[in-house]
Amino acid sequence: MAAMESEHRAQIAFHLSGRRGGGPAQSLVAAGLRPALMAGHRDLAKLRYDFPLILLSGKDGETVKSLTDLFDQLLDTIAKGSDGERLRRHALRLELEIRALAQQGLSGTLAGLWDRAAGSLHAHDDTAVQDSLRRLRAALRVDGEVIDCDRAMPYRLIHHLWALANATKARAARAIIDRLLVKLGEILVSDFLHSDLGLSAERLAAGIGSAQHAHFDFPTLSTLLKGASPKTPLAEGRRRRIEGLIAILKDQRFFGDPAAKTSIAYEYAFEDCAQAAEAFRQRLPEMTALSKAMAVAGLEVDGRYNEARHDAFFAEYGAGGLLPEDAAFFPDYLIRARAPELPQLLAAFAAGLPAKVLVQVDDLLDDPPKAGGRVAFALAAKQLAATALGIGGVFVLQSPSSNLYRLRDSLAKGLVGGGPAIFNIYSGAGADGALPPYLAAAAALEARAFPGFVHDPACGPDLASRFALHGNPQPERDWPLHDFAYEDAAQQRVVERLPFTFADFVACDDRYDGHFAPVEPNKANGHLASVADFLADDTSDRGGALPTLAMVDGADRLCRVIVDDRLIREARLCRDMWRSLRELGGVRNSHAERQVAKERAAWAEATRQTADAPKIAAAAEAKAPASSPAPAIAEPERSSDEAYIETPRCTTCNECTQINAKMFAYNENKQAYIVNSDAGTYRQLVEAAESCQVAIIHPGKPRDPDEPGIDELLKRAAAFA
Amino acid sequence: MSTATECLLKLYDEHHQLEDYQGGVPRWCSGCGDNAILAAVQRLCRDQGLRPEKTVFVSGIGCSSRFPHYMKTYGFHGIHGRALPIAEGIKMARPDLDVFVNTGDGDCCSIGAAHWIHAIRYNMNMTVMLHDNQIYGLTKMQASPTSPKGIKSNTTPRGAYLDGLNPLAVTLGVQNVSFVAQAVDWIPEMLYDIVSAAYRHKGFSFVRILQRCPEWVPKMFEPWIQDPQRTLLLHGDNGLEIGPAMARIYRNQRKHDCSDIHAAREIASMTDPIPVGILYRDENVPVYENLRHAGQLRSPAFVRKGLEAEFDKFTVWPEGGAEAPPQVASA
Repeated sequence: MAAMESEHRAQIAFHLSGRRGGGPAQSLVAAGLRPALMAGHRDLAKLRYDFPLILLSGKDGETVKSLTDLFDQLLDTIAKGSDGERLRRHALRLELEIRALAQQGLSGTLAGLWDRAAGSLHAHDDTAVQDSLRRLRAALRVDGEVIDCDRAMPYRLIHHLWALANATKARAARAIIDRLLVKLGEILVSDFLHSDLGLSAERLAAGIGSAQHAHFDFPTLSTLLKGASPKTPLAEGRRRRIEGLIAILKDQRFFGDPAAKTSIAYEYAFEDCAQAAEAFRQRLPEMTALSKAMAVAGLEVDGRYNEARHDAFFAEYGAGGLLPEDAAFFPDYLIRARAPELPQLLAAFAAGLPAKVLVQVDDLLDDPPKAGGRVAFALAAKQLAATALGIGGVFVLQSPSSNLYRLRDSLAKGLVGGGPAIFNIYSGAGADGALPPYLAAAAALEARAFPGFVHDPACGPDLASRFALHGNPQPERDWPLHDFAYEDAAQQRVVERLPFTFADFVACDDRYDGHFAPVEPNKANGHLASVADFLADDTSDRGGALPTLAMVDGADRLCRVIVDDRLIREARLCRDMWRSLRELGGVRNSHAERQVAKERAAWAEATRQTADAPKIAAAAEAKAPASSPAPAIAEPERSSDEAYIETPRCTTCNECTQINAKMFAYNENKQAYIVNSDAGTYRQLVEAAESCQVAIIHPGKPRDPDEPGIDELLKRAAAFA
Repeated sequence: MSTATECLLKLYDEHHQLEDYQGGVPRWCSGCGDNAILAAVQRLCRDQGLRPEKTVFVSGIGCSSRFPHYMKTYGFHGIHGRALPIAEGIKMARPDLDVFVNTGDGDCCSIGAAHWIHAIRYNMNMTVMLHDNQIYGLTKMQASPTSPKGIKSNTTPRGAYLDGLNPLAVTLGVQNVSFVAQAVDWIPEMLYDIVSAAYRHKGFSFVRILQRCPEWVPKMFEPWIQDPQRTLLLHGDNGLEIGPAMARIYRNQRKHDCSDIHAAREIASMTDPIPVGILYRDENVPVYENLRHAGQLRSPAFVRKGLEAEFDKFTVWPEGGAEAPPQVASA
């Protein structure tokens, strides 16, 4: 008992001070200890997961595919019938083999790795395997570079998607430029063909096959055609303008010409922000010239260029720099930046640089601070994302690399959309821990250390439309819970729901071993709580509980590890940051929850009051007719004495205007109205009313009661009252 | 999305008034419904800002077909029944032009019937107005295919023996039909709305316009003109909206789903009341000029390459040159 109390005091001392009695800290990693929830993932090669990826050409609309998805698709196609099971087994063996080759760092195309993996399956002595491999290979319709989840993967993936997006943009831009060139050329050709030189006898003869020359009198033909052709050749100013436009469009260097063997185009991928900004600044005059040339060419081709109106406009074109919508026509820049370059990035965005920026974080935890310093896990990366969100108008995607395949549509959207984009990616390849990059990245996502989200300004005007959390498991919780099954001392199967916390993530990195102290199995006591429960309990003493992690050693034995207070503080900070991000994403938003609670209370109160009041019978609702007429509005009040025409109903038949063009006239819609009742007689008004086939002329009362035949006219006019 | 430059350039565009589209002074009879159609079309041109040099009216023969003369745009007054093939040729050669067709019940439904059927099927982007006065007017009163049974004319002195052909029902029965509407010249507001919708539709827009002929059949539509209840206005979410002024006068209305071809066919068969509005609309029918588009820019290099590929299939031995090699008999 006393020994237990002494041990408990030592545990408390470690938790509070981080110091343990006697001997250096035992390395968790060296002891094979890893968080219990990661115990089943020791050998990545045996798992089916989202990597490796195959980078596709985009021809069929697919730009990237995981090996897993590819094999699933192949099996859906061919693994049918009695040999389906056999095919499936062999296919999965092949898939595992290819995955293992990729994990070993072998590079190459899918076809290359496929052949190599197939060779290692020893198919030559097994006809069933040979048949399976042959059929799988026949069903394979794609090929591309294979990349695994490593330090280089984020850049390779984003570069691939960016290149495809830029190629699509370039094709569209070239189509526009080529069309303009052809149309401008046709203007010059047309003018030449109508000119004296174009209609000369020699030129006409050249257009006819030599075998037919004897049948034509080219000089006479030339004379006749010259007489009949238009006498207005292309103005010299317009000719020079068109020739200038053709020169600019032909010599542009922004979009390469696939047909030309010596196509020279600018580079758009840069390793840092300053290089990209400088390149953009240098190219800006040329961009402005091309943008202007295209606008002028469009008007020329359409026959709409008017020197009196447009010369002055284009003289000032681009004086204040290129507008963002015009700059979006040009290829986007891809910049590989680092988090500290944020100020330069923001300046570049403000200058209109159409950039897609990859900020890659390799080591989320960084090296521990020197004695006593405060830990600041990946502060720069987190600040970058938060700042980018605050700028507005910037597409921001944050994710660990493990989740990038699932976010491929969002990646593509950020790369294709106009405007700047920042991709903040944690590769998991930083620390020299025992975890492969994929697992480290996945653990960071689970532990809320590097949550995933997308902010897309193009989605709408408010945060609810623009901001979304992506890939974060169980976002409504502080820490995700997963089932963990083990065998207890009585060899009974026990299933527990364990959280995966920030402390679990840090426990995978042996640089932070000093924050953990394993508890010997025979010294466990009732004061050990999980980190999640410890953090959730805000009471000051927490009943003496100590925060611990469940870990599994190299022999698959479960044990507990105490976490020191410094790390607990960081875990709390991580949790709070996750909660803030979660609220931004609309999950457990405190403002919304308060509003809902308030509405609920008000509704409950209103219901209570209604239940106490005498019941009032509800009135029956009249059913609206199926085709109710559109609502009508009353005509403006007018005097019944005044002559008028229901002008909107006039059919422009000319009957009334032919009777008296001074009394009746057409408005801007060629519909009749009364200009001046005094410009004619009452008889003319009545005759016009009688002639009007749609009966929209109303003569009113006569202005002159002494007009001859007034009584008869009044009788006739009564029909049109 | 327009670029900022495109938006700014729009400020410099030329704006035309209605008079800018007025060609010659119309020589139609006083009270002729063609005048109302002309006014509606000129309004359309003004309101849509159509460039006169990019607009063309094509017609055949008949009173209706005088139309191009009265528009200050490009025009083609063609031969009897051939307005549609000429318009289709114009559209294939110059897909950038706005093409309108003015045809009559004789020009379209009699001599031009074959072209009419296939023009519907081709679904080229143009606006076709059938000026249906149910009589041959220019040639001074003969029965036309749409003349009602019993009408007495120079060629049917005892009254026409057959029921009139229904152009709406015919059009709705042809494959690829994409837009069918009916208007009447004595309701100019609806006429304008229908012609506008027809112009905006990307495809073959067929509008039958019941049109008065005050000279030869002055009483033909009198009962319908005098009694608004005998006109049925069609409206709906994908059709036309009826304005308050119209609603006050024409209370006989029906909500109609323009995508429902069966309902459209049922409405097309109605003669009393006369349905007015859009009967059928389908934006998804492909237009022929897009189907035939090469998909590739016809640059001089492209054309040269195609010609050379064809020429390379033949070898031409010059006259008086070396002897041609013996022909190898084909297997």
